[in-house]
Amino acid sequence: MNMHKIISGFFFILAMTLNFGFFYGDPTKLIEHSSYELFATIIVNLIATVLKLGDKTQLGAVLLATSLVADIQLIASATVWTFGIYVLDSFQTEAITAVISLSGGALIANIISVILFIGDTLKSKR
Amino acid sequence: MNEQIIWIVLKRLRIPFLVIIVTFSISIIGLMLIPGMDDAGKPYHFTFFDAFYFVSYMATTIGFGEAPYSFSYPQRIWVSFSIYLTVIGWFYGIGTIISLIQDKALSRAIEKNSFRKQVLSLHKNFYIILGYNSVTKSIINRLSDQEYRVVVLDKDSAKIDDLILENFYPHVPAFTAEATDQNMLQLAGIHEKNCVGIISLFENDAKNSEIATIVKLLNKKIDIIVKATSSRYIEYFNAMGIKNLQNPFEIISRRMYHSIAAPNIWLLEMWIFGHSLKMKERDKLPQGKYILCGYGRMGKAIESGLKQAGLSYEILDINADNYIKERESTIFGDEEDVQALENVGIHNASCIIAATKDDLLNLTIVQKAKQLNPNIFTIARENSLDELNIFRAAKVNKIFILEQILADVIYNYLARPLSDLFIREIYKQDDMWAEIIIRMLNRVTNMNPDYFELEITHDSTYALALALENSETITLGQLRRSRADRNELLNIVYLLRKRGDEVQLMPESDDEVQMNDQYLIVASHEAKSDFEYIVNNIYELDYVLGK
Repeated sequence: MNMHKIISGFFFILAMTLNFGFFYGDPTKLIEHSSYELFATIIVNLIATVLKLGDKTQLGAVLLATSLVADIQLIASATVWTFGIYVLDSFQTEAITAVISLSGGALIANIISVILFIGDTLKSKR
Repeated sequence: MNEQIIWIVLKRLRIPFLVIIVTFSISIIGLMLIPGMDDAGKPYHFTFFDAFYFVSYMATTIGFGEAPYSFSYPQRIWVSFSIYLTVIGWFYGIGTIISLIQDKALSRAIEKNSFRKQVLSLHKNFYIILGYNSVTKSIINRLSDQEYRVVVLDKDSAKIDDLILENFYPHVPAFTAEATDQNMLQLAGIHEKNCVGIISLFENDAKNSEIATIVKLLNKKIDIIVKATSSRYIEYFNAMGIKNLQNPFEIISRRMYHSIAAPNIWLLEMWIFGHSLKMKERDKLPQGKYILCGYGRMGKAIESGLKQAGLSYEILDINADNYIKERESTIFGDEEDVQALENVGIHNASCIIAATKDDLLNLTIVQKAKQLNPNIFTIARENSLDELNIFRAAKVNKIFILEQILADVIYNYLARPLSDLFIREIYKQDDMWAEIIIRMLNRVTNMNPDYFELEITHDSTYALALALENSETITLGQLRRSRADRNELLNIVYLLRKRGDEVQLMPESDDEVQMNDQYLIVASHEAKSDFEYIVNNIYELDYVLGK
C-alpha cells in the first residue's frame, strides 16, 4: 500500500470514468450531456496531470503525455461549447457533435493512461 | 541537462498547481449554484464561462467588478469567502515559483547548463585550468592574447565570482566544482576535440596526482601540466608518463646555480622571459659566503643550487610557523636573532637569502641583515604577489616570487613551445657558448633582440610553402637576404630549429628549409616584418632567391 499510488490511481480512474459519463449518450443531443460533468472531468483531469508531473521515468513521461492530450481535448470541448452559446448565432448540431467527439478523444487518452497505470502496477511484484 | 531543470521545476510546482486547481473549481461551482438577479429582476444562474471569467480575475486580484450583473447578497457572501480561498492559493503558487527561481539546486542546474553551453561553443583550442589564483590568473591573461581559450574550475565559489568580475576577454567559462570530480571534468570539456590540455597547480601534490590519474584515464591524448614539489610525487608522475612537470623549487635551484656559476646562461633564460639581454651590475650575484635563512623546500632547493655552484654557505634554520608561534610576532630581529645572525657570520657574508614561507618575516630578516652589514646583497622569497610593492620599497636586491616564476614557465611552455625548448637546450651548453651567443645577438640586432616563433606552413609562410612544394631547394641563408637589396643581409638569427622530434640549436646558413620546420628566430623589429613579408609574398621571395 502506497498512499501516493492510491491518490494518483484514484484521480486517473476518476478522470476516465467522469469522461465516459459525459461522453455517453446521443452525440447530437446536448441535453443528454451534463455541463457539470464536463467541468468535473476537466478539474479531475487537471489534478491527474499535476500528479503525473515530475516523474522522471519513461512510463511517467508517457502518462504525462496522455494526460496532456486529454486536457487539451477537454478544454477544447469546453471552449467550443462556450463559443457555441455566446459567439455563434445558434448552437447547431455540428458544434454539439464537436463538443462530444472532442471529449470522446479525451476518453481514449484517459483509457490509455489507465491501462498504462494498471500495467505498471501489475509489473511491480510488491 | 535541460531535462534536469524541467524536472526540478515540475516537481516543485505540483502542490501549488493542485492548490490553484482545487480552489478555482470550488469557487466556480459555488458561483454557479447560487442564484442571482439580472437587471430586469429575473432569477439568473452563472454559466460556467461567467463563473470562470469572474474567478479568474478575482483570484489574480485584477478585479474588474461584478459581472455580468450586480451580485445578490448570497453571491457576495460566497465571493468574499472565495476571495480568501483563491487569492491565498494564487499567492502561494506565485510565491513557490519565485522561491524556485532563488532555489540553489535550480540555479546551480541552470548555471551548469549555461557553463556546458559555453564550453561547447568554444571553437578554438582550449586549456582547462583547475583552481583560480594569481598564478592561473596571469596564465589566463597571457593565453587569451594567444590563440587559446581557457575553462576554469574551482571549488570555491568566491574565487569563481572573482574571476567573473575580472571580465576576461575573450570570455572564460568558469564553474564552481571540485576538480577531482570526473563528471565536472567532463562538463568542462575534457572529452572535447579541441581540449588540448589541463593545468593543475595545486599546492598539494597529492591532489595534483589524483587529478592527473583521473585525467589520464578520461582522456589519454591531452597534455597534463602539473605542479610537483616532492621527489616522491615527481617519481610517480614520471612513471605515469607525464612530461610536463613543473617544480618551482627546482627552477629556483637551477636559476640560483646559473646566476652564480653561469651568468650568461642565466641571462639568456631571463631574456626569454622578457628581461633585456644585457647584464646589469645589479643582477650579478656576489661571490663569497652566503647565509641561507629558512630550510624548508625552498631553502633546500637554493642550497642545492649553491652547492652545485661550489659556494660556501651557512644555514640559519628558521621555520616560519614555529617562529611566529614561539615569538608571537613576525618581526625578526630581537637580540636572540641578532646573535643567531652573528653566529653564522653576518659581518663577513656577502649575501643573505631569506627563504621562509612568511613574507613579512623574510622582509624583516633582510632588513636586519642590512643593518648589521650594509654591504650585504639581499635576496628574499616572496610568496604572494600582493606584497610586491613593500618588497620593492624595502630595496631588496633580488626577489624570488614563486607564483610569478611558475606562471612564466607554464605560459612559456604553453604558448611558446620553441622558447621552452631553447631554455632546455641552453642548459646543456656552457657559459662561454652563451656569452658568444649573447654578443652575437646584440650585434646583429643592434642591442635590441626580440624573438618570434615560426612554423613553415601554408598559413604562416604562404610563399615559402608554395616554393617548397615545387621542390625548390631553399637554404636558411637565402631567406636572410634583404628585400630592398638582396646582396644585403637582414638582421636576423636562426636560434633553434625543430624538425619532427629533432632539435638543432643555431642551424647553419646552408641548411635547407623543409615543410613543417619550426624556427625560433631572433630579429630586430624591422627585420621581423621584412622577414615575414618575404616568406609570405611570392614576388618578394622570388626576388631574394634571385629569380
